[in-house]
Amino acid sequence: MNGSIDGAGNNLIGAIKIIGLGQSLRGDDAAGLSAVRLWVEKYTAQAQRPDVQVALAELPGIGLLNLLEGAHFAILVDAVHSGAKPGTIHRLTESQLESFNNGSGSAHGWGVAETLSLGRQLAIGNLPEQLVVIGIEAGQLDLGEALSPEVEESLPHIARLIEEYVSAAILNW
Amino acid sequence: MNQDIHIPALARVEGEGALTIRLKDGAVNEILLNIYEPPRFFEGFLHGRYFQDVPDITARICGICPVAYQMSSVQALEAALGVTISPDVRQLRQLLYCAEYIESHALHIYLLQAPDLVGYESAISLAADAPDLVKQALKLKKIGNDLLKTIGGRSVHPVNTCVGGFYRWPSVDAIRALVPDLEWALQASIDTVKWAATLKYPDFEQDYEFVALNRIDEYAIYEGDILSSKGKRISPLDFEKHYIETQVERSNALHSHTADNGTYFVGPLARLNLNYKKLRQVARETARGIGLKLPLRNPYKGLIARAIELVHSCDLAVELANAYQPQGPSFKEIKIRPGEGVGVSEAPRGLLYHRYVVDEQGLIRFARITPPTAQNFAQMEADLWTLAPAVVKQPQEEASLSFEHLLRSYDPCISCATHFLNLKIER
Repeated sequence: MNGSIDGAGNNLIGAIKIIGLGQSLRGDDAAGLSAVRLWVEKYTAQAQRPDVQVALAELPGIGLLNLLEGAHFAILVDAVHSGAKPGTIHRLTESQLESFNNGSGSAHGWGVAETLSLGRQLAIGNLPEQLVVIGIEAGQLDLGEALSPEVEESLPHIARLIEEYVSAAILNW
Repeated sequence: MNQDIHIPALARVEGEGALTIRLKDGAVNEILLNIYEPPRFFEGFLHGRYFQDVPDITARICGICPVAYQMSSVQALEAALGVTISPDVRQLRQLLYCAEYIESHALHIYLLQAPDLVGYESAISLAADAPDLVKQALKLKKIGNDLLKTIGGRSVHPVNTCVGGFYRWPSVDAIRALVPDLEWALQASIDTVKWAATLKYPDFEQDYEFVALNRIDEYAIYEGDILSSKGKRISPLDFEKHYIETQVERSNALHSHTADNGTYFVGPLARLNLNYKKLRQVARETARGIGLKLPLRNPYKGLIARAIELVHSCDLAVELANAYQPQGPSFKEIKIRPGEGVGVSEAPRGLLYHRYVVDEQGLIRFARITPPTAQNFAQMEADLWTLAPAVVKQPQEEASLSFEHLLRSYDPCISCATHFLNLKIER
């Protein structure tokens, strides 16, 4: 495991942040964590660039704001629930997230959308200028279960998608 | 209002829960508080695990109060294995617990409960009108998380705690560097108490049986005997004889009662009422400053109790951080032997009980985890019944909010929920 992946709250300054979110004990809710891990394994050189920061955050709640601070561009990778087929990959921009503010299916009342809204509302200065969310459609969320096969199969595609975003962000910077 | 009330997902509550109030001929007929709570799963999950894995596994039960799960579990396992920790370890554990109190109480006071009291739908709408207040809350919470990370290695699920002590001592410089922030937090928490005193709380008082840890020499958070406001004091070893859990069909959480089938109330109000005199001086002075009168019997005023505990925790954290100078090894070598042990500490939400049986190989053969919210369930339901006759006369939306507000004031930690993004809003 890369030494920089030590959970939420890393306040290192980085231009690009890749944050895997989820709960490793709840089946497909771990999809975002697994996808980011896979990306680090496959694209290690990229993940170790000084301007690239990686974090795996389980239930950061509102602490997500602290994780995002200092990044110019952030990629959040998280399990989502929309009724689509498990393993479906969603690409969401921040503005698309805003319409989902009311979802209280988030632990601790603070989901990604609400947390970002709060951060923008407060005009916290050093939040990323641009942010994308890669959502992975979850199937089962049972305690102690492994990822569903469909979600497992989608992981390499997500790793590649993360890589596309990262490469594009490096080029555009 | 003549419709049933169904709140499928309680907002601003730690985890997942639902509430249904059924009416018959305009009167309350049934109240179902449905809680999806996973500690039971953890009891099974721990079976057969090596004892030293337990603090890291139980920390996963909650993203807000992982330290509590670590502190109760390591104490139970140290008792089972006959390990005595060093005074330096105890002090660092106290400091770690301060970190959790700061982040957890700051979150609940400002971002979970305050919107109800000041009439906002959420902290986001509150932030629109009172950005400085919410920024202060976020800063307080961050200071707690920074301290947690410095000691525990991570800001959400700390990993440094082990049976016997800590895997390593955090550096003295890193801890000292946090002192200015903690001093700021102390002042901010004093201001929080003053602000909390200006809020208008619903008029609702009950004659609760409060239960909390108690010690002669300190405001009991890390350890203590179990004291009830009815005067009963017991050793943690006797907890299961006096506080009995029963299965409730509609919920995967067990509900607790006293041995004589009464409800009881754990958490900040219980601690404050039972242990006020043991608070740090600055916390008592701040409480006196707002004219606090005890006992507080209004669950909504748990917010005031949390604010006072925030002062206590920040002040204690400043002292412990300044005094931090660990000597000797950070953990005790452990000789594995079969045994059984109990550990109890005060999670921010209330008393958290753990009991484990360890076999001759150091594997867990039995685990019992009784979280604070399970102990409060029966009391929460009793309060809902008391509140309901008046509330069901309100319009539907207002009634739902009233019930939710009461439940939120308990700061229920239904814990360990998934946090996936809900792309469909079911209302």
